Amino acid sequence: MMIRQCWVIMQRELFYMWRDKSLRNILLVGPLLGLLLMAGVYSSQRIGNISTAIVDLDKSSASRQVTTDLKNSQNLQVVAYFDTFSQLEESIKRGEVIVGVVIPENYGKDIALQRQTKVAVLIDGMNIIYATNASSAVLTVTRTLGAQVGIRTLIAKGIQPNQAQEAYQSVAFPEEAWFNPTANYAYFLVLAFALNVWQQCCTLASCMTIIGENGRRSWYQIRTSGISLFKLFFCKSFVHIGILLLTVLPVYFLAFVVFKLPLACGWSSFLLFTLIFILALHGLGTMMSSLSPNAVNASRYGMIIALPSFLLSGFTWPLQAMPQWLQHVVWILPQTWFFQGVSFLTFKNPGWGFVSHYFLALSLMAVLFYSVAALRLMVSDFPHKG
Amino acid sequence: MIDVKQILNIAHYEIMRIFRERVLLAILFIVPLLYASMFGLVYVSAILQHVPLGIVDLDHSQESRAVVSAFENTPNFQVIPQVSTYADLEAGMKNGLVRAGVVIPADYSQKLAQHQLTQILTVYDGSNLIYGFNTRKYFQQVLNTFSAEHTAAYLSGLGMTKQEIVNVMDTVSYSMQVWYNPTFSYATFIYIGLVLMTLQQIGLLGVGLTVTREKEENSWLQFLCAAVPQWKIFIGKALPYFIANFFNFGLLLWIAARFVNVKIEGSVGLILLLGLLFDLIIVSVGFIVSVYFPNSLLVTRYFMLISVPIFVASGYSWPSTHIPAVINTLLRTMPYTWMAEAFRLLTVKNLGFEYIADKIMVLILMAAATTFFALTFSKRRKPPAQIGPVVNSALDYPNKNF
Repeated sequence: MMIRQCWVIMQRELFYMWRDKSLRNILLVGPLLGLLLMAGVYSSQRIGNISTAIVDLDKSSASRQVTTDLKNSQNLQVVAYFDTFSQLEESIKRGEVIVGVVIPENYGKDIALQRQTKVAVLIDGMNIIYATNASSAVLTVTRTLGAQVGIRTLIAKGIQPNQAQEAYQSVAFPEEAWFNPTANYAYFLVLAFALNVWQQCCTLASCMTIIGENGRRSWYQIRTSGISLFKLFFCKSFVHIGILLLTVLPVYFLAFVVFKLPLACGWSSFLLFTLIFILALHGLGTMMSSLSPNAVNASRYGMIIALPSFLLSGFTWPLQAMPQWLQHVVWILPQTWFFQGVSFLTFKNPGWGFVSHYFLALSLMAVLFYSVAALRLMVSDFPHKG
Repeated sequence: MIDVKQILNIAHYEIMRIFRERVLLAILFIVPLLYASMFGLVYVSAILQHVPLGIVDLDHSQESRAVVSAFENTPNFQVIPQVSTYADLEAGMKNGLVRAGVVIPADYSQKLAQHQLTQILTVYDGSNLIYGFNTRKYFQQVLNTFSAEHTAAYLSGLGMTKQEIVNVMDTVSYSMQVWYNPTFSYATFIYIGLVLMTLQQIGLLGVGLTVTREKEENSWLQFLCAAVPQWKIFIGKALPYFIANFFNFGLLLWIAARFVNVKIEGSVGLILLLGLLFDLIIVSVGFIVSVYFPNSLLVTRYFMLISVPIFVASGYSWPSTHIPAVINTLLRTMPYTWMAEAFRLLTVKNLGFEYIADKIMVLILMAAATTFFALTFSKRRKPPAQIGPVVNSALDYPNKNF
């Protein structure tokens, strides 16, 4: 009898979710569309080929050598040659080039005469992603170019070639990007942004748990039918959680199987982690639902938290760079635990000892949120006076 | 002479509605402030410094200590003393204790003494590329300085005088200037984009419910039947939101400049013009959506979800030069893309009208088109659609007070 009743409630909830056309569209299409859009946005994966312009005021063989070295550098792409500084300035203003290199007049002559000369490198700092990559590329190139000129100068001064080389190149500095060896932006952000869209869709669905019942006129019938509230909301939540988990599966399939984004921890751990997060998030939505007089306000309350939660989670701009007190406060949001956990689990898999805290915290949050929702429901004045 | 009394009456009625609905009032006047403060706190440090660094010095010589000192003497890194072995570094990188590492090999000083090539390994955490790219830049800066010092010491060992060393090493110097945002301030980079997105969302969520609310209370019919032209209904209903949005625009920019230290330069006139155009587009779009959507729940749901995709794909953070043309074209239909780009060129690059004229033109066209549709919405009453049983998608949604 009890199982049959649960089954009927669950069937009814499924029917309700399906008949809610906007929620159905949001859950079915939203997360997938989010993933595909993000995969498209970050499809170039790396900031390479940074558009660079050269103003060669010298036009000597030495200055042409600089041009050749810049053309051969890994991340810079020489796209324009200008005759004057003002042309370069204008091009940077218009955003046509990001890096400008100005080789002064008499550059070759000064080097030959061992007189000091200065090459100016200008970077458009408006977009930091560009500017940071451009700076690294420029610093690497200038170190190499500086060494080449220095070696030639020393040799010209009568220093042995091997000694001249050793003076500049006795220490090499190889660099490695761990966990994401090609510094791939798609690895870094595509899944995270898609999951951000998904958690917002989940929040909208979760915010209907209680108000979706006690905000309807049929609530009187349910109250008088004798069905226990625990059974009713447990069965509803069970369906919600199952649906929310189902909506993330195609996202994960596309992300990890088709787009081959990194998943260091393995499927089972990641799915379990996702499930625990769904519990916490659904709990939060249910709590908002219990505190709201109608579905619009429930959605507003839930989304006011869900919208900025990704930025606050420290997934992009690191927590360590935020004010000390805020670093502690943001951990009250389940999204912080989730997105931090996603980063650790997909890239690093630091082991159960480390991530167990994340599982525990999310579980405790779920218990807390559901408890508040249950308390609120129990003390609310239904059937309402109206 | 246009009779403005009807417009003012409708605007007055709408203001009463806003003040009566406390949540809406909070969304219009408190949430923008809350979000601006929250984002401000997140980015207030602006520059990513003190990157936790683990140094594995396997040599423990005087030469290797010079390397360690080079990293200790920069505010960009914070050397974490708990990391001293390669295993520590691996573990620290995995659990987030450190985000970068330097490994000095055991034979470092020996190879230097034997005039053999040696190497110092630098590693950074690629799982967060904001850390990663900044760390790489900081590494290059430290290593350039270290290389120069190393070369100077080597030449000194060859018997060259200080002046001779300076002459050799400064034969070619490279001056690197970063224009417009020389300190690499993340606040200047990203904060205004977030503020504009907040204004868009709050604006849409406010005006987006102005008609649906009437529909839910069966009072929209009175507007449709009344002898008041459409354009007056739109202006009257949208005016309070237009003013509130513009107030928020000014307030949030003031917070950005005053408390978050975001660089805001450029012509005040152009800033105001952009703000007015963006505001006009937002209230027009919000009103049109409100006219054609059946209830407030749907409007809230759809409007809430558009912020992340628009922000990410707009080219504001990840440059549009690296986004496929089809997505760029799609996002060019969004006013946010033009507004954010024009606003950044104006306030960060401090460019004049001629540089953003095309963007202003697009915004004017968008404002004209959306305002036209809002002013001329159809007052025709449609019979309820026969679409069978629906949940939450008809003229009502779960509400305890119905």
